[in-house]
Amino acid sequence: MILAATMNPEAFSGAQDAIARMRRGDPDAFAAMISRYQHRLYRYLLRLVREPAAADDLFQQTWLRVMEKIGRYDARRNFESWLFSVAHNLAIDAWRGKRGESLDDAGDAGDSGEPPSAKLRTGDPDALERLLDFERGAMLAACMHELPAIHREVLTLRFEEDMKLEDIAEVAGIPLSTVKSRLKRALEGLRAAMDARAPGRKGI
Amino acid sequence: MSEHESHESIARLLPLAAAGALDIQEQRRLEEHARECLVCRRELEIWNGYSQGLRQLPQPPIPAQLMERTRTRLVQERAAAAERRWDELTLGALALFAWTVGLTFWFVARIVTGGELVVMGANLVRFGTWSAGSTVLVWMTAAVAAIALGRRRRELRRAL
Repeated sequence: MILAATMNPEAFSGAQDAIARMRRGDPDAFAAMISRYQHRLYRYLLRLVREPAAADDLFQQTWLRVMEKIGRYDARRNFESWLFSVAHNLAIDAWRGKRGESLDDAGDAGDSGEPPSAKLRTGDPDALERLLDFERGAMLAACMHELPAIHREVLTLRFEEDMKLEDIAEVAGIPLSTVKSRLKRALEGLRAAMDARAPGRKGI
Repeated sequence: MSEHESHESIARLLPLAAAGALDIQEQRRLEEHARECLVCRRELEIWNGYSQGLRQLPQPPIPAQLMERTRTRLVQERAAAAERRWDELTLGALALFAWTVGLTFWFVARIVTGGELVVMGANLVRFGTWSAGSTVLVWMTAAVAAIALGRRRRELRRAL
């Protein structure tokens, strides 16, 4: 749904207009862009750092950095890739700032979602199927959570953000061939984690 | 390449196929092989299931007032940046003013002293000596002002 909005030509033109206004320092343009990207950017950061508080802070820092650098943003570049690369670099800096912690040592996120049973509403014929979907999704998310950050990043950018491989390469600052090899290893790692949780299961 | 080697090489492409990350040639090779190979077709279905599952992961809730807090930080940062610009302009103007005053005094001192005011063997109203002295004074004043402004900015930031 969010993606559809960004692919829409009118939405694209609106984004370009908002970027032009951001360059002039228009606070309403910033508000519009924060609103537009808040779900996707926060989700990306959360998948990357796993801690809601850290993702929250990095989200705010990303927009501060955008405000600082928007004057140097090349309008021919894809704004989304640029925005996510700003967030990526800040996340990397934050990790480097944590002494003795590597890219893959970030802590576990708290359990802030409602329990799966809460999704099951009485009298809803599709409720059981939805609950099973939810359980499968939760398990997949838990397995993804165990992967190294560099693998979580390519998975979320490719599948949740639906980014092109070239854009992922730009965000992560890596060659296209590395994007492919990371994607492959990430998917294999995810499948291994799912198999370990549910041995004998075929698929997800 | 033997049939087994071909199968193995295609099997290695399956996760990337599910991620839509194959080039046209690889995709064509895979499709040709999968038409004949039931094992690869089933494997591809499994990988496609992962691909679909990843696109439908449960979405994390957005923290309360994240947008409003971000906007507030942006407004504060913009105000701080404007203040920094103002401070820089003020320092620049003060430095220019100091140079102008120094130059004026030099002219006045030369007129009053007739171009010679020797102290400890140095003629203070010579242009070189005078400008060196005033440069040191200007930079010392600027340093003191910068420290004072920096302290004030830190106090303001703590207060926010």
